[in-house]
Amino acid sequence: MQNAARLEQEAVNAPRPQLDLSGWGLRGTAIVYLLVMIALPVFVVFSSGLQAGLSGFWDNVSHPHAVSALRVTLVTAAIMTVINVVMGTLTAYVLVTYRFPGKNVLDALIDLPFAIPTLVTGIMLVLLYGPQTALAGFLQDRFDVRVLYARPGIVLALLFICYPFVIRAVQPVLVQLDERQPEAAYTLGASGWYTFRRIVFPAIRPAMLSGGMLGFARALGEFGAIVIVAGNIPLRTQTAPVYIYGKVEAGNMPAASAVSVVLLGVALIVTLGVDWMQRSRQHG
Amino acid sequence: MKRIVLLLVLPALLTGFSGVQAQDAPAITLTLAAYTTPREVYVEVIPLFEEYWLQETGQRVEFQASYLGSGAQSRAVEGGFEADVVALSLERDVTRLVDAGLITHDWQSNPYNGMVSTSLAVLVVRPGNPKDVTDWGDLARDGVEVLTPDPATSGGAQWNVLATYGAAQRGYVDGYSADDEGAYNFLVDWLSHVAVLDPGARDSVITYSRGIGDVLITYENEYFAGIAAGDEYDIVYPTSTILIENPVAVVDAYADAHGVREAAEAFVAFLYSDQAQAVFADKGYRPPVLQAADEEEETAEPGGGALWEESALDPDRFPPVEDIFTVAYFGGWDQIGGDFFGDDGIYTRAIAEAQ
Repeated sequence: MQNAARLEQEAVNAPRPQLDLSGWGLRGTAIVYLLVMIALPVFVVFSSGLQAGLSGFWDNVSHPHAVSALRVTLVTAAIMTVINVVMGTLTAYVLVTYRFPGKNVLDALIDLPFAIPTLVTGIMLVLLYGPQTALAGFLQDRFDVRVLYARPGIVLALLFICYPFVIRAVQPVLVQLDERQPEAAYTLGASGWYTFRRIVFPAIRPAMLSGGMLGFARALGEFGAIVIVAGNIPLRTQTAPVYIYGKVEAGNMPAASAVSVVLLGVALIVTLGVDWMQRSRQHG
Repeated sequence: MKRIVLLLVLPALLTGFSGVQAQDAPAITLTLAAYTTPREVYVEVIPLFEEYWLQETGQRVEFQASYLGSGAQSRAVEGGFEADVVALSLERDVTRLVDAGLITHDWQSNPYNGMVSTSLAVLVVRPGNPKDVTDWGDLARDGVEVLTPDPATSGGAQWNVLATYGAAQRGYVDGYSADDEGAYNFLVDWLSHVAVLDPGARDSVITYSRGIGDVLITYENEYFAGIAAGDEYDIVYPTSTILIENPVAVVDAYADAHGVREAAEAFVAFLYSDQAQAVFADKGYRPPVLQAADEEEETAEPGGGALWEESALDPDRFPPVEDIFTVAYFGGWDQIGGDFFGDDGIYTRAIAEAQ
């Protein structure tokens, strides 16, 4: 018996070193790949943005056009995120909870924005809300709202592009949610809204936030659609990525990198926040 | 499996070799890096030159032409895109290549300063001119919406700013004093009427054709390109405007490295031939060579009608403009870069004040 146990032990031990080696090889490959593909480009932008020293960086970032461009980007992305979290959660809830014809098609449609080139998104919005269309005329006459070449146009473009983020974050959590809990609450006399608020919402809140924040981070860098629908007027409708593009075109790399550093910094904080939230969800 | 691959590859190899053998003269390749708008011109001029070069030297020349925004194209060549000839929209984009040590000869030594085509900054309006726009001054009028490309992203858009500023400074815009202050005020006033700043000149034309804006500031050749493409709008010539000059040059470093200097220089020279210049005129540019010929003709024997009619510079198509100035009026592009488009430049301040 002892012998057999020893043999078994050896058999388990024998391939270990090999496994470890390949484990290190895999880990090394993954880490080098991450460094080369992500960390290195990010580092280059940071070092280029800070090349002129902190005062030079501050001068570039505090230029009125840069400040306004960053503000337009952050404000439109924030508005989009609020709408996206509310409507995305609602959509996910409907898709998981209810049955209706065409549900599968609808579910497949949700990922479409990830596959459509954002330039095409811009063109679609121009065709839909362009000044000659009936929809734009109606909005202009009835509500005095100009969609295109104004901030509503930017928010619309971002909503389209970030549409899947919240839905795809919340949907799997809802599916996994123990059905007995809401059912129990319901049979104990809780209203549908009360059940949602006290049982469902706490469970999906982290997913709502992380989906919303990832969408927010994605929206910060959007260029292709915005350059078409925004109008790009400095201090009015020019976003940070369009401002950066202008600086690159003008050969002013320090200014372009400085504003890029701010965008990167915000995106980094947001993604770290998402990571932290997901971690605390696993432990909590 | 291997055999199948071999069977497929072998005939291709054989015909490939025989193809080379059958050719008497070896082909050389010229790489042209151009900005976007003269594509229509080069598509026609390149075959003309290929034929000309074959007849002159017996050598076949093939072209690889790339079309990109002028600034981006210039930076691409600076960064290692090995073009033998560059055709760009602004002198400054060629100067970048001189500074990078890629162009080493005096590329402005010909009678036209190295400028192969010229045009004018003009106003484009809706058919029938419903807003009754007659000159630059109308851009600042209430209820007029203006489109112009963004000078930050489109080097070409800087012409528009310079044209309006210069015209006011020279006293051709009513209601504004003929000095720096008047010109600045005019710039602020019309910039506050801008609805969309598109990234490039063509983008601006496209936005305008979608029905946005009352007036588009663009180049005369863009107007003709739009008309040729079937768009419908009218052109309004200002009393005073800037002469847009587009340079072309051989990139010494790359042409030598590829051993094609002779052909590259011949191509640039060919662009100034009457044959090539007529193509420029046909596409809506005011070609400097034909223009100079017309001026000589006029001064030599006034009323020498025959040549006027034969020349592509038909005055009905290219009407004379009262006052034309060039970038030299502002002290050249080096000066303009800081004075107008620097962080504290005239345009930078004006667009901020216009909001």
